[in-house]
Amino acid sequence: MEMQLDRYAYLDKPLHRWEPRCKLAGIMVLIFAFSYVRDLRLLPVILALSGGMYLYSGLPGSFLLSRLRLPALFLVAVALILPFVSGPTVLMHLGPLTLKEEGCLELLRITVKFLAILTMAIMLFGSMPFLTAVKAMRGLGLPVILADMTMFAYRYLFEIGDDLKTMQTAMGLRGFRNNKLGGAGSLAALAGTILVRSFEQSDRVYKAMILRGYGQPASYQEDFHARPVDVAGMLLLILAAAAIVAAELLWR
Amino acid sequence: MHIPDGILPASVCVGGYITTGAATWYSLRKINRSENPREGIPRASLLTAAFLVASWVHIPVPPTSVHLLLNGLLGALLGVYAFPAILIGLFFQAVMFQHGGLTTLGVNATIMGVPAMIAYLVFRARKIFGADKRMVTGVFGFLAGASGVALAAIAAFALLITTIPSNIDVAAERTAIITVTLAYIPLMLLEGVFTSLVVSFLLKVKPELLEGR
Repeated sequence: MEMQLDRYAYLDKPLHRWEPRCKLAGIMVLIFAFSYVRDLRLLPVILALSGGMYLYSGLPGSFLLSRLRLPALFLVAVALILPFVSGPTVLMHLGPLTLKEEGCLELLRITVKFLAILTMAIMLFGSMPFLTAVKAMRGLGLPVILADMTMFAYRYLFEIGDDLKTMQTAMGLRGFRNNKLGGAGSLAALAGTILVRSFEQSDRVYKAMILRGYGQPASYQEDFHARPVDVAGMLLLILAAAAIVAAELLWR
Repeated sequence: MHIPDGILPASVCVGGYITTGAATWYSLRKINRSENPREGIPRASLLTAAFLVASWVHIPVPPTSVHLLLNGLLGALLGVYAFPAILIGLFFQAVMFQHGGLTTLGVNATIMGVPAMIAYLVFRARKIFGADKRMVTGVFGFLAGASGVALAAIAAFALLITTIPSNIDVAAERTAIITVTLAYIPLMLLEGVFTSLVVSFLLKVKPELLEGR
């Protein structure tokens, strides 16, 4: 199983060189400001901001589109329901269905916020290795236990995923066909086997980690050094976020 | 069941992060009070990854197939590690697969994690009737699995329907919540049966996994 998220994490672009803690803090604040937007006049602003930043990041457009494909199904589902159930103002009748103005506006609001936030999130985690992102979160105050669990789980996620594929292939070769509900017992045994294997492996991993000094203070040293330009970039994004929230409050 | 970005008001997202912060603080406090807090981390982490992978297993429900949440099973097996495990699992799903969202991570973790903690208590109650009995383990496994998904479904749909479209009338909201929750009953039963089968399998093959939970 391949990990595609940090495929472009090693490009030499300004966004990639941005100190990870500053980048994480700045972009996350901006993402939350996007989620605060209700006023329709701010929608083009957040769309332009996220699109502009993505262009500046140097990440390919195909990368963004490939990652948007799956969540776009959610938008399709919302588009099929919301315009017909929300609001009293009738725009038009489509057979037995009635298109409502408030529903259409709500759909527009959700779509733009969804795309803007997702673009920022993909850019954030696509422009640095995943482990660097976790270390940056640790540097920003994420508890040690959560940081450790995230790194361990990440380390073994795809290995266990490959184990699942191997076991499913073996089941298939032995005649198992996953097309009847009666096979739930075999699938439960499959899930149980994955859990048992992981449980047994965890003991070996823990002992190996202890031998390598796991838990000693040195293993938590971080080598991040924020330059003035990194801090300035973060402050700029926080300022943009504050402006969006202020505009929202003033225009409400 | 994973609410995406852009759909909930910012106040609800912040509220979700506050409840998630409180639940995480409570879990970490419990973990830190154990004899060797670090010892359980590799085990909980690998099981977190294993749960995420196990949730990719599709259960055939002709003519389609479904994938299970497994938050009840996760709660039953991981105990105090369940909430951090769910938080991390949802973070992976949001970042790697764009399933869920970063602003809604707190809300999603609360929706899935609190029922997992309740499922842990439900599963632990089997000790009153004898934890090593297969029938008892199976029944409480069913209850843990079904209650985990039932509570998560009710919370998710209630939150979605009451917060997104502000112009839907109250009667329509109530009907929608009841309809969607009823539609989830077969899935709750399926999740309960599957959890029951898995814990029965573990009791036979690796009972240590159920010990102390």
